[in-house]
Amino acid sequence: MFSDEEISVFLDELEEKIQVLNENILVLEREGGSQEALQEIFRAAHTIKGSSAVMGYEKMASLTHEIENLFDHMRKGLLPVSGPLVDTLFMAFDTLQTLRDEIIGKDVSVDIEQVVARLRQFQEAGSVYSPDETPEVGRKPSKPPAANAAGTLEEVDEDVIREAEAKGFQAYWVAIELDPGCQMKSVRAFLVFETLQQMGEVIKSEPPAEDIQEGKFDTGFRVVLLTCEDPDRIRNLLMTVSEVAKVEVSHIKLAAGPDFQEQSAPGAQGEKTGQTVRAEHNEVKTVQTVRVDVQKLDTLMNLVGELVIDRTRLNRFAEIFEGRFGSGSGDMVETMNEISSHLGQVAGDLQEQIMKARMLPVAQVFNRFPRMVRDLAQKLNKEVNFIVEGHETELDRNVIEIIGDPLIHLIRNALDHGIEGAEDRVRLGKPRAGVLKLKASYMENHIIITVQDDGRGMDPARLRAKAVEKGLVDSEVAQRMSDPEALNLIFMPGFSTVTEVSDLSGRGVGMDIVRNHIEQINGIVDVTSVPGAGTTFTIKLPLTLAIIRALMVELGNEQFAFPLTNVVETISVRAEEIKKVKHSEVILVRGRVLPLVRLSDIFERESNAEMDRLFVVVLGIGEKKVGVIVDKLLGELEIVIKSLGDYLGKVPCLSGATILGDGQVALIVDVRSLVKEIGVEEAVYAAS
Amino acid sequence: MRMAKGEKQIDSRENQMVIFQLTEQTYGINIDAVYEIIRMEAITRVPRTPHFVEGVINLRGKIIPVIDLCKRFNLPLAERTSSSRIIIVDVGGNTIGMIVDGVSEVLRVPLESIEPPPPMIHGIDAAYLRGIAILDSRLVILLNLEKILYEHEQNELQRFEIETA
Repeated sequence: MFSDEEISVFLDELEEKIQVLNENILVLEREGGSQEALQEIFRAAHTIKGSSAVMGYEKMASLTHEIENLFDHMRKGLLPVSGPLVDTLFMAFDTLQTLRDEIIGKDVSVDIEQVVARLRQFQEAGSVYSPDETPEVGRKPSKPPAANAAGTLEEVDEDVIREAEAKGFQAYWVAIELDPGCQMKSVRAFLVFETLQQMGEVIKSEPPAEDIQEGKFDTGFRVVLLTCEDPDRIRNLLMTVSEVAKVEVSHIKLAAGPDFQEQSAPGAQGEKTGQTVRAEHNEVKTVQTVRVDVQKLDTLMNLVGELVIDRTRLNRFAEIFEGRFGSGSGDMVETMNEISSHLGQVAGDLQEQIMKARMLPVAQVFNRFPRMVRDLAQKLNKEVNFIVEGHETELDRNVIEIIGDPLIHLIRNALDHGIEGAEDRVRLGKPRAGVLKLKASYMENHIIITVQDDGRGMDPARLRAKAVEKGLVDSEVAQRMSDPEALNLIFMPGFSTVTEVSDLSGRGVGMDIVRNHIEQINGIVDVTSVPGAGTTFTIKLPLTLAIIRALMVELGNEQFAFPLTNVVETISVRAEEIKKVKHSEVILVRGRVLPLVRLSDIFERESNAEMDRLFVVVLGIGEKKVGVIVDKLLGELEIVIKSLGDYLGKVPCLSGATILGDGQVALIVDVRSLVKEIGVEEAVYAAS
Repeated sequence: MRMAKGEKQIDSRENQMVIFQLTEQTYGINIDAVYEIIRMEAITRVPRTPHFVEGVINLRGKIIPVIDLCKRFNLPLAERTSSSRIIIVDVGGNTIGMIVDGVSEVLRVPLESIEPPPPMIHGIDAAYLRGIAILDSRLVILLNLEKILYEHEQNELQRFEIETA
């Protein structure tokens, strides 16, 4: 019935709206009845209701209908914001999320009855609660003059109508007049609604639908119907319901509002637009956007690479041309060089623009956290002041996808193990509420994300003891470790300072997995901690995964690339400085033993290295370091990472390939698997 | 020499085959699988891949693995000459290059002229063949690319196991 495309637009929109709901509820909880937040929520719920009904997801439509009703009460001031209410709303949003999962085919079965019942409870409570006006008055049925089919539309309704129109539906005001002698108004009304729903979706009714169904209206009511049926058919079908005296149908034509363009592409207005609008709510900014498949951007990126390569070829051709035709060709060569350099410039700009198009604000991930922190803190019975900074910082979308899980883990850890309970904190002379700060910022070509708490911190001495006790390091090694090194012990597999597995952070995921995830995307994670004052995790990430800076080296007559994030330094050593320990080669660098490995051995290649002077690339993964002997250092280069493809699959010690300026392919060394493979630890311990 | 797929409606009773040479034998593969045929170019060797994987090339910005069919079948290696070609095929969702000694023509092979292969021919197991055909008194060995390109993992794994044992 609906194309995959339509469904995916719907799902994206849904995701956005659920996010809006969650965010604004937090605002409500924090600031009480903010009208602006209420309005946002109301709109979001209304949109979900409309579009889910159009798409035929009934459970979702009826759930959002309840949510919307509740907010309508709140908006009118009939219902105060309260803890239990917020909890119930969160529960409802979670149910929405599960309903979404159900649509995308996850095997979940969702029961909305319970949450709907709870929402209704609040609604009823709201009807009783009456601050300055009695709700019954506001809902008096006398209001709509039934003579004319058209009523008043609110902005939110117009939005829904525009969206529906974009999907090919028409909106009509349908006024229904029942026989004045009708005995069972509610039953007739119910039947009318049934009939209407067969034809399409009722998005608004005057008086409200529940009043109508309870019979709280005179003899007539009217609704806004979204349908594909024509007016005559609507009229005829409704007239088949007994005791319907008169039906009037009028087409709703919306004037193109000032924000029409933005609204007409609901799927296209991303997170960013939403924020811009919120930031400057007085002037509605019309940023026109389109959703583009990332694949297309990747293809564009490839094409730019082609351009760059052709430019290099053009340069070379110019040289050959000059060589062959001598000085007589002077002008032509010059022109060619000019064209070539311009081509290079354009290709560079193009590359940059496409890179930018792949970036998303880190808010995409961060926005999930306030809600999570709130729930967790409540569960742990702790007071936490959660501060988020720099959510406008932009990252490549691939990085964003991967960074979520490690951050969740770090935040959970901070709440669970870091921040103390309120009473403890008071006893320690700290403010009752702990501070958890999540911050993203740019630093050169990197993004730095920090997760900082002011909790109990970590004690290096205890970590050392723990590591020895678990048999992860021997006591001698542990004693020689500096404090920062000892803190890094937490990233070792099998290390966990809390003995009992807690429901929150101990889900079998250790800090080693966190580091794994981060290193997977060429990131680095570091930890600093002051016992009693808190812990800070610092994650350094590349802006993008597609392009990295690499150190190019030569082996035999081939080039290899080492990602610069893993390169600690390069040194040149004399052959006699190399010492043999058992079967491994090592050297002393500034008093420390550095295990060595020859790239030619790893890749089973011939080496053209000079005998007496050797170049060593020192690689670092976490606290492990290893030196790799190569033939020649060629310098740094910005390279585009390309996959070796599914056919070759995962090749040991390689993470991909890149195309050099002359069109040749150079392989990219996977430093992680290389370090793992040569068993550095053994070598280190053997050496020490 | 790029061939668009499905350009012409092919008679279902015959196959169009790309005919190529490999150590003085004539082989054929279905034209549907062939994406393009290019001249030999510099191939970047990729360490620690199956022995018949020659390396990777840059095909207009895409990294394409290239295999040596001689090595694949453990045939004697032929020298690369100016007539050597890389046939780029699209099999099982992957684009793969195959080095051959030369590509001669595209032939229409009537289905009735295709016969089942003998158990072993020129050192190639019948499992990798679709059949053989006699065309203009020439013997053409028709290859089953799916099998050739994808059914090596087991053998390779076995080989590694033997090596490490």
